[in-house]
Amino acid sequence: MTRIVVDPVTRIEGHLRIDCEVDGGKVQKAWSSGQMYRGIETILLGRDPRDAWIFTQRFCGVCTTVHAIASVRTVENALGLEIPLNAQYIRNLIVMAHAMHDHIVHFYQLSALDWVDVVSALKADPAKASALANSLSPWPGNSKEQLKAVQDKVKNYVEAGQLGIFTNGYWGHPAMKLPPEVNLLAVAHYLQALDYQRRVNQVVTILGSKTPNIQNLAVGGVANAINLDNEATLNMNRLFRVKDILDEMNAFIQQVYFVDVCAIAGMYPDWLGYGAGVTNYLAVPDLPLDTKGTKFDLPGGTIFNGDLAGVKEIKTFQDPYFKENVTESIAHSWYDGEWSKHPYEEETVPKYTKFDDSKKYSWVKSPRFQGKVMQVGPLAQVLVGFALGHEPTKRWAVKTLETAGAVAKTKLSPAVLHSTLGRHAARMIRTCVISELALKHWGLLAENIGKGDTAIFNQPVFPKGEQRGFGFHEAPRGTLSHWVVIEDGKIKNYQAVVPSTWNAGPRDEKNQPGPYEASLVGNPVANAGLPLEVLRTVHSFDPCLACAIHTLDPEGREIATVRAL
Amino acid sequence: METLQPVRVLGLGNVLMGDDALGPWVVEALLAGWEFPEGVSVVDVGTPGLDLTPFLADADAVILVDTVKAAAPPGTLLVYGRRELAGRSPLPRVSPHDPGLTEALFTLELAGAAPHDIVLVGVVPEKVEKAVRLSPAVRRAVDAAAKEVVRRLSAMGVAPWPRARAAAPAPWWESAADFRIELSARA
Repeated sequence: MTRIVVDPVTRIEGHLRIDCEVDGGKVQKAWSSGQMYRGIETILLGRDPRDAWIFTQRFCGVCTTVHAIASVRTVENALGLEIPLNAQYIRNLIVMAHAMHDHIVHFYQLSALDWVDVVSALKADPAKASALANSLSPWPGNSKEQLKAVQDKVKNYVEAGQLGIFTNGYWGHPAMKLPPEVNLLAVAHYLQALDYQRRVNQVVTILGSKTPNIQNLAVGGVANAINLDNEATLNMNRLFRVKDILDEMNAFIQQVYFVDVCAIAGMYPDWLGYGAGVTNYLAVPDLPLDTKGTKFDLPGGTIFNGDLAGVKEIKTFQDPYFKENVTESIAHSWYDGEWSKHPYEEETVPKYTKFDDSKKYSWVKSPRFQGKVMQVGPLAQVLVGFALGHEPTKRWAVKTLETAGAVAKTKLSPAVLHSTLGRHAARMIRTCVISELALKHWGLLAENIGKGDTAIFNQPVFPKGEQRGFGFHEAPRGTLSHWVVIEDGKIKNYQAVVPSTWNAGPRDEKNQPGPYEASLVGNPVANAGLPLEVLRTVHSFDPCLACAIHTLDPEGREIATVRAL
Repeated sequence: METLQPVRVLGLGNVLMGDDALGPWVVEALLAGWEFPEGVSVVDVGTPGLDLTPFLADADAVILVDTVKAAAPPGTLLVYGRRELAGRSPLPRVSPHDPGLTEALFTLELAGAAPHDIVLVGVVPEKVEKAVRLSPAVRRAVDAAAKEVVRRLSAMGVAPWPRARAAAPAPWWESAADFRIELSARA
């Protein structure tokens, strides 16, 4: 029995520690630990509920937008406040642009190198790579000359004795299986993706005035004054700039991202068999189409034990099925007590003891739905959409399975999505769906403004006494919910149950492992000192944990360690 | 006329984590006290990880302001050049959100869009933990850090000038606790 500890002592974000017991080349048991205390919610106590979103979007430096959106929805829910249609559409466009940005960055910049061997790309024949790419996609960025230029660039890097960003990759690891031509294409698209993720973020900037940390929200709507002929407002010019970017994103996502994920899934078919873990799934509906939040363009619901036929829908922003069934447990978390409570009732009293995998070992709490462990994220979104017959989700999922199946020369059923690479495929499927819906919502906004509706804001009114509210947002990493108790116009309690808490949480009072922990069991590990396979599965969730802090360390004493004990 | 390449001053840090607000604080102080020539932007970017990339891309010069870990007393001002910032290899990635400044710089180098010049104006923190205020030592360093930024911009030929009616900086995260809400009559 070998114990592997992947324990970053890094300076930014992360703070995730994974422990695995490996025997016979496979993970037998795993523990996921959040190594940093959050509890930032207490900063909100006593504050103006209208300001909460400005603070909550500082919870995390990467997912700022999502905490802002969830927070305004939460206070609106507490007040029973509807918001104008324009405000919904503008928020939806920001949400979708952010999601496209986040998913592209995750796949190319943050996790592709788990599958792509950069050094091997140097051996590729650019002409062959170009021919292969052109047989799969009409994308104009795959010419022999362009691929040759990328190869030369990487070659210069390597010959100069440094790999730069690619240092510390697991190059030459026996688990790397792509042919040199596919590696070269992936490296070329890695560089193109940098450009496209920046481009789509401009939509967030145009509509939100700034990113990270958008400025245009308000409890009750948005602050984007609409006047098509005014330089300073949301006008024709800005609207069409947004449309142009969304068109460009559609092409990149459907002609590049789609093809790359299908190719990688088809060439690593083993990884459609590892990493399932928890097959209970939770997703909430998003992209509201009315002022109340009762009709949506993306569906939500729950699935238990992988039974798609038994899907139960979450229908509205007010749905008691969601409100009444969420709890958090601290049985194995470093908080005082042993309770499992509803978010309205929670208190956050930290009590650190040492890492003890049989007792308490994480700062992350364990959220549960009807007492059950749930996996959240794009896979949950896609499976719930598929089960509910959501047309675009079904269409892109079928197309993905067909295309990846053609590469693998086998027929792939939807069941392969319960896996490590299934999570990457689902993230891509969701991005394709969103790339279409973004254009649809742009059209809805333009049409509504064209009708002469320029309303963007309804004034919130705070009654005396206590109100409770919850707001959810189906963020890139999954279901995010905020919960508020307001008393006499001030915040009395505030809790955020974030996607990575659902997925990265420790065992609960019934010792049910969390999704990360369960997904690692059965993963192969060829070399305990280079646990690429463990990282593949953890990365497939797109973890984002600390949501808080970083201090630069130019003097470089920190180390991320991988220990095999 | 030559096109002016952008110069960016970026305050990094989490305003909810005590001294980690140093970067955003210096941005507030700069904007309250100074006006900047065209082409110079001064932005509080929070803790963006790899999302720092667009703020670094294609810039002529970038001045980062952040807290730094160093063996020096809290409030000490330290300045680092490009070599010290990019001189180390990126770390093995564990969480995909681990990548930060070094990774953003390397990525842009490969893409051919790295900033021409980059410098970090750092301050050693005392307490980086949940709070919306700076410790006294770090609060005292805000002015010195802001002046260092002004000095560097001037040396680059894009000197800011003092505002005619300079106001004391009032960061929203420290002032927002003071509010009044009119409650409606209905209970």
